[in-house]
Amino acid sequence: MTERAAHIEVEDLTVRYGGATAVGGVSFSVQPGEQLTLLGPSGCGKTTTLRAIAGLERPTAGAIRIGGATVYSSAARIDVPAEKRGLSMVFQSYAIWPHMSVFDNVAYGLRVRRVPPREIDTKVRDALALVQMAGFEARPASQLSGGQQQRVALARACVFSPQVLLFDEPLSNLDAKLRGDMRIELRELQHRLGITSVYVTHDLEEALAMSDRIVVMRNGAIEQIGSPSDIYNLPRNAFVADFVGSANLIRGRLRADLAADGLTALETSGGQIVYGMAHGRPLGSAPTFSVRTVHLRLSPAPPAATRNVWPVRVRRCVFQGDFTQAHVTWGDRELIVRSAAMAPLADGQEAFLSVDPACCVVLEE
Amino acid sequence: MSEIRKAGATRRAVLKAGAAFAAMPLAGKAFAQPAKAPTKVLDFHTNADMAKVEQEGQLIFYCHENEAGTAAIMEGFGKDFPKIKTGYVRAQTGALYNKIVSERAAGRFDVDVIQLSDLAPAFDFQKKGGYEVYASPEAGGYAPEHLSDPAGAFFWTGVSFAGIAYSKAKVKPEEAPKTWTDLLDPRWRNAMSCKIPSSGIQFVQWYMFRKLYGPDYWKEFAKQRPRAFDSRVQLFDRLAKGDDKVCAIAEYAAYVLYKEKGAEVAFVAPADGLPATPLLVGMVSRAPHPEAAKLFVDWAMSARGQAFYQDNPNLVYGSLRKDAAPMRTGERLRDFKLLSPADYADYTASRDLFTKEWNAMLGL
Amino acid sequence: MGFARAQSILRARWSLPSAQTVVGGAVAAVAAVLVLYPIYFLFQAALNVGDPEAKPPTDYGFDNFAGLARYSEILLNTVGVSLAATVLALLFGFVTAWILSRTNVPGRHVLEQLMAIPYYVTPLLGAFAWSLLGAPESGFVNQVWRALGGDGYLIDIATPWGIAWVMALFEGSVAFVMIGAVMKSMDPALEEASQIIGAGRLRTMLRITLPLVAPGVLGAAIFVFAEMLGSFSAALVLGLPSRFYVVTTAMYQLVSQYPPRIPLAAAMGVSLFAVMFAMLFVYRRIVTRRSYVTITGKAFRPRVILRFVLLAVCILYIGLSVALPLLTLAYASVQKIAVAFPAAANWTLDNYRTATTMNAVRSALANSLVLGFATASIGVVLMGLLSWIIYRSRVPGSGIIEYIVMFPQAVPRLVFAFGMMWAWLIFPIPIYGTLWLLLIAYLTVFLPLGIRTISGVMLQVDRSLEESAQMCGAPWAYRIRTVTMPLLRPGLMAAWLLLFIASVRELGASILLMGPNAKVITPAIVESWFASSAELTAAMALIQTLVVALAMTLFVVLTRRATQLAHE
Repeated sequence: MTERAAHIEVEDLTVRYGGATAVGGVSFSVQPGEQLTLLGPSGCGKTTTLRAIAGLERPTAGAIRIGGATVYSSAARIDVPAEKRGLSMVFQSYAIWPHMSVFDNVAYGLRVRRVPPREIDTKVRDALALVQMAGFEARPASQLSGGQQQRVALARACVFSPQVLLFDEPLSNLDAKLRGDMRIELRELQHRLGITSVYVTHDLEEALAMSDRIVVMRNGAIEQIGSPSDIYNLPRNAFVADFVGSANLIRGRLRADLAADGLTALETSGGQIVYGMAHGRPLGSAPTFSVRTVHLRLSPAPPAATRNVWPVRVRRCVFQGDFTQAHVTWGDRELIVRSAAMAPLADGQEAFLSVDPACCVVLEE
Repeated sequence: MSEIRKAGATRRAVLKAGAAFAAMPLAGKAFAQPAKAPTKVLDFHTNADMAKVEQEGQLIFYCHENEAGTAAIMEGFGKDFPKIKTGYVRAQTGALYNKIVSERAAGRFDVDVIQLSDLAPAFDFQKKGGYEVYASPEAGGYAPEHLSDPAGAFFWTGVSFAGIAYSKAKVKPEEAPKTWTDLLDPRWRNAMSCKIPSSGIQFVQWYMFRKLYGPDYWKEFAKQRPRAFDSRVQLFDRLAKGDDKVCAIAEYAAYVLYKEKGAEVAFVAPADGLPATPLLVGMVSRAPHPEAAKLFVDWAMSARGQAFYQDNPNLVYGSLRKDAAPMRTGERLRDFKLLSPADYADYTASRDLFTKEWNAMLGL
Repeated sequence: MGFARAQSILRARWSLPSAQTVVGGAVAAVAAVLVLYPIYFLFQAALNVGDPEAKPPTDYGFDNFAGLARYSEILLNTVGVSLAATVLALLFGFVTAWILSRTNVPGRHVLEQLMAIPYYVTPLLGAFAWSLLGAPESGFVNQVWRALGGDGYLIDIATPWGIAWVMALFEGSVAFVMIGAVMKSMDPALEEASQIIGAGRLRTMLRITLPLVAPGVLGAAIFVFAEMLGSFSAALVLGLPSRFYVVTTAMYQLVSQYPPRIPLAAAMGVSLFAVMFAMLFVYRRIVTRRSYVTITGKAFRPRVILRFVLLAVCILYIGLSVALPLLTLAYASVQKIAVAFPAAANWTLDNYRTATTMNAVRSALANSLVLGFATASIGVVLMGLLSWIIYRSRVPGSGIIEYIVMFPQAVPRLVFAFGMMWAWLIFPIPIYGTLWLLLIAYLTVFLPLGIRTISGVMLQVDRSLEESAQMCGAPWAYRIRTVTMPLLRPGLMAAWLLLFIASVRELGASILLMGPNAKVITPAIVESWFASSAELTAAMALIQTLVVALAMTLFVVLTRRATQLAHE
C-alpha cells in the first residue's frame, strides 16, 4: 500500500466564517508516509484545517496540494469536491452506518469504486483482520461497542488504499485505558501501511506518542512545528512551553557579562542568576527561560552543582500519584516542581532548588 | 290565476309556437341549422348527432340546485343514457354564474349545460353570447314566453315558488303567520330564516315585495335579524328540528319533500301571492361536448324529462310544458297565485341594490 | 506532475455546478414559484382599486384597506374568538401535559398515544358533532336538558364561545404536544427540590413548574393563536348561519357571492396574513432564543395522590374531543331527522345508502384518496430534498429557501387558495379546475408541515454519517440513496402519513379550488352540510373517517413489514 503515500502541501490557508477567522494563513507540508499531528486547545482551528484538507470545509483563501495535484486554490478558483480527492477520514464519532452490517460498512468505499465483488470480499476481510475485527463481517453495525466501531471505522478508511488518512480526534470518545492501547495500535498500523496521515488531537500524550511531527496551533495560527522531542525540549514561546507539558517561565535581565561555556545568564527581579541555553535563538535585553517542572530538582541538602542552585522554601507539597508537585517560594515568586521520586517535604520546610542549565531554554519572543 | 309573463323594453313579437327555429345570430355566434330531420330517441326528439354523442361520452352540468337535486337530475339523465358520463358543479345561482363568467374570461370553456334559478344572470349570459343558440325539436311544447327571446338560448324547465312555513312543534296554529306582513311581528325576531343573496328566488321575493309593500318592508324585515342559508333543504331541516320557528321563503318543493319525511312543518300560501322564479336550462356556447349538451336540452324539454323534474322528490318542479302532467302532489302550477317581475329590465338593474341591502342585513 | 497540473487546470471553474447544486436549485425554484406566485396575486388583488374585472388591474391604491374599517366587527370577532380558543387550548394542553409528564397517572403510555387522536378528528367533524349536540333548539344536550326538566337550553354552540370551544378541543392536542415537549426536557430535580422543602404538589406546579415552562408555553401560545386566526371549519359550520363572521369565513362569503367582492376579500386576506406573519415572527424569535432549562434524558420519579382523578380528567378530554363527536355523528347518521330521543320509526340506514351511492361522494372520496397518495408521495420527495438543501447542504441561499418554504405557515389556507385561484386561472397550462391544481395547492400549503417533520428527523442524523460516505468517495446522489434515505426512512414514513391525512382532510384551500371533475371529500361534506340534511352529512363524515383510518392502518402495517424485512 505504500506506493500511494503522498506529499501534502498547505499554503496560506485561511478559513473565515462571517467575521470570525477560524484559520488565518496557515502553511505547512506533510512528507510522504509521515504522520503529522495538529495539536492545540479547542477552537484553535485544527479541526477546521483538517476538514479543509478533506474538502468538507470550503476555505476562504490559500491553496492545498495533495500528491502534486492542486485540490484547492483560491487564486485558480479550484475546489475539488471531497469525494474526488482520494483521501480517507476517521471521524471522532466513528460515523459507522447503523443500518448496514460491518461488512457493508467496510465495503462501501470499494463499492463506490466499482471494485468486483470477489476482490471486495478479499479486501474487506483483510482490512478487518488488520484491525483485529476478523469474524465480525455479518454483525449489524448498531451492535458494536465504541472500541469495535473505532476499528471498523479504521478498516473502512484503509480498505480502498487512500493516498492520505485523516484522523479527527478518533480516540477522544474512548475511555482512558482503551485509548492508550489504541494509540499504539494506530501507530503500528500507520507504520505498516506507510500512509501519509494527518492527525488532529487536543491530547498531548497522544500527539507526542504517535507523531513524526507536531503542528501546535492556537487561535487559527501555527505556534510551532517540529518533532515531538523538539517541541517538548525546545518550545519556541510561552504558549507552547506551557501547553506541551508544564513549564515555569522565568524572565530576567540579560547578563551578557556572565555568559560562559556557551550558556546564557539572566538576572531575575528577585536577584537570582539563572543559566540556560539559547539554542541559536536571538537574545533580547530581557529574555525568558522556559524551565520544565520535571527538570527542577528539590533536595533538602545542597546539591553538588555550582550553577543554578538556590535556597527555597516549600510552600505546599501535593501528592499526585505518579509524581509529587511542590510549590516553592523562590525569591519574590513561586515555582512549581514536579518529581517522580521525591519524598514529600513538609510545608514551610527549607530546601535547595537546582536545575541543569541545558534544561533552561530561551524562548523566542 | 297563474300568470307568468315576460316583458321587456325590447320585446319582439311573440313567435308562433312550434316555429321557434328563428336563427337569430347572437353576438356574432351564428349557428347553422341541422340539415337532417330530428332523430327520435327513447320517446322524444333530438337534433343531436347520436353517433357523436356516443363519441363524446360526457356531459358537464352547472346547476343551482342543492347537491341532492343536482345529483338527481344527473342520475335521471344518466339512467336514460348510460353511455354518457355526467359531471356537475353545484352552487347557488349567484356563485354559479360568477364562476362560469370568470372561467370564460380566463379562456376556460368546460361547461356544457347550465341551469340557473334567476332570469337576471340568464339575460346577462345571453347578452354575453354565453348560450349556444340551439333549436330543439321539443321547443314546440312550450309557450313562447317560456323560451328565451330570441328562442334557442334557454328555456324554462320549471318554476319554483315559495310561501311561508313554520314549525308545528314551536308555533301554535293561532299564532302562525298568515300573510307576508305577519312576518314583521316582533315575536319572530331571531327565530326566522331566509336565503342568501345569491339565491334567485330570494331576489324575486325582495323585488316583488318592494313593489307590493314598499321598500320599508325590508327595513322592518331586517330588524327581525333572520338567519340566511344556502338551500331550501337546510331551511326545512331547521324547521323540522325546531331550530327556527318560521321560514320566510319556504319553497313548496322542499315542503313536499319534508312532509313525506314526516316532519312537523306547515305551509302557508298568503293571499297576496307566492314569489316564483323560473328555472332556466340552456346549452353553453363553446361547449366541450356539444352534441351531448343538445341531447340534454332536448331531454329536459321533453315530456319525459319534465316528468322527471316534477316527480323526483328532490326537485318537485312545476312544469310549464303545455301538456305537462300535474306535480307530484296532484296540483298544478296554475292552482297557485304566483308573483314574478313584470319589468325584467328594471328587475335586472336592481340586482346590485338587492345584493348590497341583503348583505348589509346579514352583516357583511 | 504535468498531468496533475493539467487536471487541476481542467477543473478550473468552480462555477461548473455539481449535481447537488443543479437539483438543489431546481427544487428551490419550484418551491419559490409554488409559494410566491399566489402571494403576488393576493397582493395584487388587494391593491387593485380599479375595475375588479379588468385583468391586469388598471389602478393600484390602498382604498380597499381603508374600506376594512367598516368591517371592524369581523376583525374584532376574529381576534376575540382566537384569543378565547387559545386560552382554552392552552388550558387543555397544559393540564394534560402536566398530568402525563409530571405525575404517575396510570396508563400513561396509552394516554399519550390517545392524545394525538383529536388532531386527526378534525375541527370540522367536531363542529358538525357539536352542532348536533349544542344547537339551542335541536341539540341533543339541550333536548336531554329539557327532558330532565330544564328550561330553554343549556348550551348554545352557535356562539363565539361555542366556536372557541370546538376549536380549542382539537387544537388542544397541538398545545399538548408542544407543552409536553417543554415539560419533558425540564429537570425534575428542580421540582423535587421544591417538594423536599415542603411545598405541596399544587404549589410546586404553580411556583416552580409554571415559571420554568413559561417561555415554552408562551411560544406555544403564540403558535396556537396564529393557527386560530387562520382557522376556518368551526367558524364556517357554527358561525355562518348565525351571521357571526371571522375573517376567513367572511372572505369565503365575499368570494362566493354574486357579484363577488374580490378587492375587499383580498384586503382582508392580506391583513390577516400580516398579523399571522408578525405572530409567527415573534414565535420564532422566542423559540430560537431558548431561555429555559433544557436537560435531556433524565428519568423522573413522579408520585401523586388522586391518580384516578387525573386519569378521569385525561379521559374526559379525550372523550369530549374524540369519542363524543364520533358517537354523536354515528347516532345522527342513522336517523331520519336526528333527535335525542328518536321514535322507533326514526331509525334508518338510508343516509348511508344515499351516501355510498351518491356519485358525488364516491368520486369525491376516490379523488381524495388518489390526491392524498400523490401529495404524500411527491411531497415526501420534494420536501425531503428541500430539507436536505436547507439543513444539510452548502448551497448558497439556503436561508432564503427556508424562509420561503415556511411562508405558507403565515398564510391561512383559504387566503392562499384565494391567491392561487387567480394565479393559476391565467396560467397557460389548463390545470385550473382539475385535480392537478389541488395537488399543487396541497404541496404548497403543506410545505411547512412536511419540512418540519422531515428536517426534525434529518437533524438527528449526524452529519458525519454523510461526510464519511463522502470521504469514501461517494458522489452526492449515491450518498443520498445509500446513507441518507435509509436512515431517514422512519421520518419519511411519518411524513408520508401526515401528508396523506392532511390532504384528505383539507378544507380551506380545496373549497375554493374544486372543479366539476375535481371534487374532493371534505369540501363535499361541507357542501352537503349546507345543502342537504345533517344526517346525510353525518353519514358522509363517518364514511370519510373510516376510509382514512383504514388507509392509515394499511400504511402502518405495510411499512412495519417493510422495516422488518429490511432488518433481516
